[in-house]
Amino acid sequence: MPTIPTYPYSEHRLDNGLRVVISEDHLAAVVAVNVWYDVGSRHESPGRTGFAHLFEHLMFQGSANVARGEHFSTVNSAGGTLNGTTWCDRTNYFETLPSHHLATGLWLEADRMGGLLEALDQANLDNQREVVKNERRQTRDNQPYGSWLEHLHELCYPEDHPYHHTTIGSMADLDAASLEDARNFYATWYAPDNAVLSIVGDVDTAEALDLANTYFGGIPAKGGFPTPPPTDLPARLGGERRRTVTDRIPVPRAFIGYRTAPFGTKEFDALQVAATVLGGGRGSRLYKALVLDRQLLQPSDGAIIDSWPFIGGATLTIADLPAREGVDIDVLESAYHAEVDRIADGVTAEEVERAKALITSHWLHHLSSVEGRADTFGQYATLLGDPGLINEALPNWLAVPIDDVVAVTGEVLRQDNRAVVTFIPDVSDEQEAAA
Amino acid sequence: MSLVSDRPVVGEPRPWHFPSFQRQTVAGGRVLTAHLPGRPLAVTALVADAGASAEPIGREGIAELVARALSEGTTSRDAHGFAVAGERLGATWRASTDWDSLRCGFEVPVGELGAATELLAEAVRSAAFADATLARVRDERIDEVGIDRSQPATRAAEAFAAEVFADLSRYHRSDGGDVASLSAITNDDVRDYRSARLTPSASTLVVVGDLDTVDVEALGRTVFDGWADNAAEPAAPDVQPRGGGRRTVVVDRPGSVQSMLMVGHDGPPRKVEDYVAMSTMALVLGGMFSSRLNLKIREEKGYAYGAFGGFDTRKHGGVFVARAAVQSEVTLPALADLVAEIERMQDGGVERDELEQARAYRAGVFPISFAGVMAVASGLGDLVIHDFPDDHFDQLRQRVLDVRKDELDSSAATHLRPEDLVTVVVGDASGFAKDLESAGLGPVSIVPDES
Repeated sequence: MPTIPTYPYSEHRLDNGLRVVISEDHLAAVVAVNVWYDVGSRHESPGRTGFAHLFEHLMFQGSANVARGEHFSTVNSAGGTLNGTTWCDRTNYFETLPSHHLATGLWLEADRMGGLLEALDQANLDNQREVVKNERRQTRDNQPYGSWLEHLHELCYPEDHPYHHTTIGSMADLDAASLEDARNFYATWYAPDNAVLSIVGDVDTAEALDLANTYFGGIPAKGGFPTPPPTDLPARLGGERRRTVTDRIPVPRAFIGYRTAPFGTKEFDALQVAATVLGGGRGSRLYKALVLDRQLLQPSDGAIIDSWPFIGGATLTIADLPAREGVDIDVLESAYHAEVDRIADGVTAEEVERAKALITSHWLHHLSSVEGRADTFGQYATLLGDPGLINEALPNWLAVPIDDVVAVTGEVLRQDNRAVVTFIPDVSDEQEAAA
Repeated sequence: MSLVSDRPVVGEPRPWHFPSFQRQTVAGGRVLTAHLPGRPLAVTALVADAGASAEPIGREGIAELVARALSEGTTSRDAHGFAVAGERLGATWRASTDWDSLRCGFEVPVGELGAATELLAEAVRSAAFADATLARVRDERIDEVGIDRSQPATRAAEAFAAEVFADLSRYHRSDGGDVASLSAITNDDVRDYRSARLTPSASTLVVVGDLDTVDVEALGRTVFDGWADNAAEPAAPDVQPRGGGRRTVVVDRPGSVQSMLMVGHDGPPRKVEDYVAMSTMALVLGGMFSSRLNLKIREEKGYAYGAFGGFDTRKHGGVFVARAAVQSEVTLPALADLVAEIERMQDGGVERDELEQARAYRAGVFPISFAGVMAVASGLGDLVIHDFPDDHFDQLRQRVLDVRKDELDSSAATHLRPEDLVTVVVGDASGFAKDLESAGLGPVSIVPDES
């Protein structure tokens, strides 16, 4: 086992409630700036699915002192890279810059946190609405198997649960989004006291904090953030749910979702280890049985089964099973379930050691870049309230006992707790027909 | 209480240089090492002059099969055993090929560098290449190609290469091959390619990480000591373009809600004299968010999630291509915009502020691009494959800072060839086919999407 590094950091709160996490790392002359807002697609109003993500696009269209297009050009001209992402629980905005440009990054983020409305207009909204609709077409509608995620969300979360719909949303709801929606959404959620600013890299903590105060300190707190809809769910789905999709695709493929204890729980951590024993890496059980021995499953570089970091009541653990050409998807699915069920007979210490070694190096890899670390600080601070959990995550995984690996597999990866979406190739011209 | 309206005035950047590295010869083999202190993970990898461009026509895809089969079992353990041995070290195996190289190795906690290098040596020297294994690896690859080409972007790239390059050119098919070429490959083809190309004289060991306590020579001996050489210098590949001016290929996919567009032609190799000017010009045209293609197609028209373009420069040749996935209804106007932007750049060159931004971005981003061990190892691999001098990246950065507007303009005039544009559309032809003939994009052929 390699030495487990402790990532140094300090946590601050500005007078307006903005949480600031600063972590020095002087190995390279770079700095990552990352802002997590505690708002995602689960905070959307009925009839406005996809809005949190559409709004993310509007945040790149200029603000009080930044003209349209200047956000990207300013970062690029500084030699930096940037982006933003939206998911169920959050929206994040980030740039990596040569470290002498820290102030540039902070100024840009502050300007849109406090001054977006001065630049927001109907033309920007209409343009980005079309961009987002094309993003949906490119990543979902015009992609083979592209609807799998929507099916799993629908099957695994009840209609009144905020995870029932996906982040990209529906075309009709995107069409319905108005400028007033955007103003209200901004007024409701975008505020220093609903955000975490992480600064990681070649900086001096005191100077970075001063700069954070300079640029963000004048943005007023908002408070009064609405409580999102309740997310409590029974621990299990309570029965197997199935859906078959016939589509123009090359080979059959099954996606299996399991209801799982949320990110940040002991059960979640144990399941991470179990999932790695089962399907992480080419030395895993599923890879050996389904790819090497029986040649039923098309191999890929990703994990065969993995969990997502949702916090609202329950998260999802997902297995992705593309069939080899000519393989009956039912045969593949049965072989998969048999392998999962075999965990009940016990796992060896060697298997758990392998899983933990892989988890360790993947974690070190993820945190090796300043941008990976800044994002992770933001994640723990926003979702679980404590950026310091970055230093507890790995010890927690490594502490999972063998017995818990077996137990959590039996509790989660079971028939009455799974939703199965099966894609079947259609040779006729018929479009998708969901059962 | 308010926002700060003035842009920050920033100080001077910390000076940047590509990490210093050592070249040595150990047991007759080349070893490149870069010491990057403080990183918990390290890289040990072999870079071999065994890329796809040397493959025989009709059996393209062999190099990738060689790369994959290396981790599929050795003379001392099977595929599962090899995987477990690496993973218990926390080592992540990666093997890949491109046109000009085969690269394989581990990212691994630095304390396990020795053990991981032993496994690397075992893979490249003692992989068993058994009949059943090679057959499985090939069939998996064939299935994978089938899945990949169901994606519009991959299908378009396939059609584009086939139309731009002559039938017997190596660039006519993708570097990974296609279903037909993969199906023609025998197990002996794979074994022969490996013995001819994956040899010590064609290989360099690259080690990057915190090497304070690492015996680099021992790592070199592990890989090279006693490794027999029977290298054969490959002939330069045929990369002949088809020629013939503007023309258009439509891959008809009824029901598609988008059209995948590719517009371009063949292009110069990596060692083209005005590489810096050409590639900086391409950044302005289509290599950044604020480039002309993206501003026009996405930010002005809303036709697509994004539009990009540039040169893919390989050792023996290359391509220029602009691309966007646009909603079906705007297929023709979007094509017109792509072509117009290419023509405008070819004819008029860049604006001064565009040059400033591209230059500042490209020179400024070096410290970010090379911050990690994987990126530095990959950079060293590029040095090896293209035979660049030791100060290549520092020199490149300086030349980017020095490049002038007239050089970009002249590169645009030379390397963009609007009269030769090949257009590929993967989409529902019923919506646009009848107007495409008169779009000025040359003769149109419509092929069914047979997949």
